[in-house]
Amino acid sequence: MRNGGGNRSRLLLISLIVTSLFLITLDLRGVQVIDGLRSGTQTAVSPFQSLGAKVFRPVGNFFSDVTRLGRTRGEIEQLKAENEKLRQDLINRKNADAELSELKSVLDLAGTARYKVVSAKVISLGSTSSFTQTISIDAGTDDGVKENMTVITGLGLVGVVKKSYANSALVQLASDSAFRVGTRVAGSQQIGILSGQGTSKGVLQLLDNQTTLKVGDVILARGSQDDRPFVPGVPIGEVTSVDNAAGAVTQTADVKLFVNFSTLSVVAVVVGSPKSDPRDALVPKGPIPIPVPTVTVYATPSGSPKP
Amino acid sequence: MFARRFLISFPIFAIVYLIQESVVSQFKILGGGFSLFLIFTLLWSALGTPELGALTGFGAGLLMDLSQTTSGPMGQWTLIMILAGFAISYLGYGDDNFRGNPISLVVIVAIAVPITRFAYLIIGLMFGGDLGSTFQIFISLFSSALWTVAVVPLLMPFVTRIHSTLFEEKSRG
Repeated sequence: MRNGGGNRSRLLLISLIVTSLFLITLDLRGVQVIDGLRSGTQTAVSPFQSLGAKVFRPVGNFFSDVTRLGRTRGEIEQLKAENEKLRQDLINRKNADAELSELKSVLDLAGTARYKVVSAKVISLGSTSSFTQTISIDAGTDDGVKENMTVITGLGLVGVVKKSYANSALVQLASDSAFRVGTRVAGSQQIGILSGQGTSKGVLQLLDNQTTLKVGDVILARGSQDDRPFVPGVPIGEVTSVDNAAGAVTQTADVKLFVNFSTLSVVAVVVGSPKSDPRDALVPKGPIPIPVPTVTVYATPSGSPKP
Repeated sequence: MFARRFLISFPIFAIVYLIQESVVSQFKILGGGFSLFLIFTLLWSALGTPELGALTGFGAGLLMDLSQTTSGPMGQWTLIMILAGFAISYLGYGDDNFRGNPISLVVIVAIAVPITRFAYLIIGLMFGGDLGSTFQIFISLFSSALWTVAVVPLLMPFVTRIHSTLFEEKSRG
């Protein structure tokens, strides 16, 4: 130690490091106590997270308006407070409308594919200290949500349930760098593997180099054995660029994921799926072309001018 | 006596941890945002002795490992935080000019936060984790340093006051 820390400090430091290494060893060996500790902590924290989501989500959009309060007097103050309340109600209403719209679209998607789903609200947006991309949702084992279940929104695949607790669950997003999903291309049915990149884009690696991929192709989940972790047919994204390097063993492409992970508020966990594969039924429909009206002008020759 | 004071600080860390998990995590902030708990811990460690820094890092690391959003094995954050807590307190130990200067504290914590996160990433790779987009990691580390510069001056008055109440005034008495 620089200023007389001495042997005691060194001994303490070494003891703490050894303890942490011991913990890592226990966890890597799969000791149940460690999982129990994490589940216990999450069970204790999730009510606070739900409360935080309820209180701070609308407030987050409201900061600029709140700063105006406190400088008014008398009737003006009362009117402003009333106005503020109405605006708050409006924001809450807009928030509820947005959630309703998300819920409707996810139910439409689930209905088309005949998935049995459990809807859930996002209560936390994941870690800001580690590099993982996760969300916490307010549905857990009590609602039938188990590990390795597919999570979707109306736009497509959100991710997969990594941990499930009594009343909450941790979802690994499709944008997470550790995320992998078996895919097929809608229409041509070519199969491949899509990997998350930590951004809104993923990288698709086709398993067959003889086939061709083109920009705009829609990528769907191929599905897993017993539909876990992935049910088949869920839209994932759209090819934005194709890497056609000569001599490459496999063809790769950049895929823009359909889901916007920064605005997630309501998701659905697929807890049951039909025996039949929905195939390409969930491929998002392209924009309907608007007919352009054409104007036809008929020229009629006028009579010959009189002299 | 020392252990008792250390234990008294535990509820403070528990509250900051709860704020991090239930409030800060609600906001999607530019560049990936910041970890209030990590900043608080490093600032707290910077004000104490190396012994206290290592112990603080141990306790805070355990809490971070218990977070459900932690991807690594239990003990990974503990290991990193012990070393980070020890290192940051060792740097300023015995130098009152350093600890008495708020700018030094802001700079040292702003440097320590991305280094700690980077060390977590490297250790995670050793345990078989995935790296993801290098550019995204760079942006995340850089913005965490900038956020730290913004957050530390706001936290510092509270942290220094509580820290001195717990560890300095009592030791005189």
